[in-house]
Amino acid sequence: MAAHVAENYAHQLGNRKLGLWLFILSESMIFLGLILVRFYMQGVYRPDELNQVLGLGITGILLISSFTANRAEVLISRGNRRGFLRNLAVTLLLGLVFLLIVVAVEWPEVYHFAPPSTGYGTVFYVLTGMHAFHVLTGLLVLLVVLMQSRRDRYSPADYWGAQGGIIYWHFVDLVWVFVYMVLYLVGP
Amino acid sequence: MQELKIDSQLLRRGAIVFAGLLVLTALEFAVAVSTLPGILLLALVLAKAALILIYYMHVRDLRNLDEGGGH
Repeated sequence: MAAHVAENYAHQLGNRKLGLWLFILSESMIFLGLILVRFYMQGVYRPDELNQVLGLGITGILLISSFTANRAEVLISRGNRRGFLRNLAVTLLLGLVFLLIVVAVEWPEVYHFAPPSTGYGTVFYVLTGMHAFHVLTGLLVLLVVLMQSRRDRYSPADYWGAQGGIIYWHFVDLVWVFVYMVLYLVGP
Repeated sequence: MQELKIDSQLLRRGAIVFAGLLVLTALEFAVAVSTLPGILLLALVLAKAALILIYYMHVRDLRNLDEGGGH
């Protein structure tokens, strides 16, 4: 009986993982399309006024958030709830800082030399806007994970809810890896 | 004792991947501001993506979906 229950759980977990990856694949198609549009519309053009220090800085913030998210996942898989909560909270904070810098600093800055009415402005705001929306939803997912964990919902035997949310956060970081290259680094 | 060893190994691995990502990002930036070919930039980005996919997103788990688990 116990073996049957364990097998059923493993099967369910497999389905959930597959479901998450299919979702990630579908979201990737959106970004692939937008990246192709960037090159179709603007080639490898990139304005000189683009703040490279800012781009590098926010990239660093997102990478650190992925590091703390990974730490959180390892800790909850070993039953360390306190460590998990601490690292998840830091991940959330870093994600929020990233989002605020993009919206409150990056976007107004770029508006001066590449407003949405221009070709580069269009691709810039659409790509970073779509990514920012995914960051926002990622933060909401992590917030739910945080609240669930405070209710002792996760254990080493069953922490898929936390792991799934964290995998989605890593996907958000992964997308930025390409968006950063395509908007900030490509070009003469 | 064995549990503690596994914990620190996993955490160390995460830290090494993070360090790798930082180094690759710095190299990316250096390539972008230099006259080195753009294909190098793509290679660095793909390397970063592979690190995230394999070690952070556990894409290899897809091979063993019926076995469940993570670490």
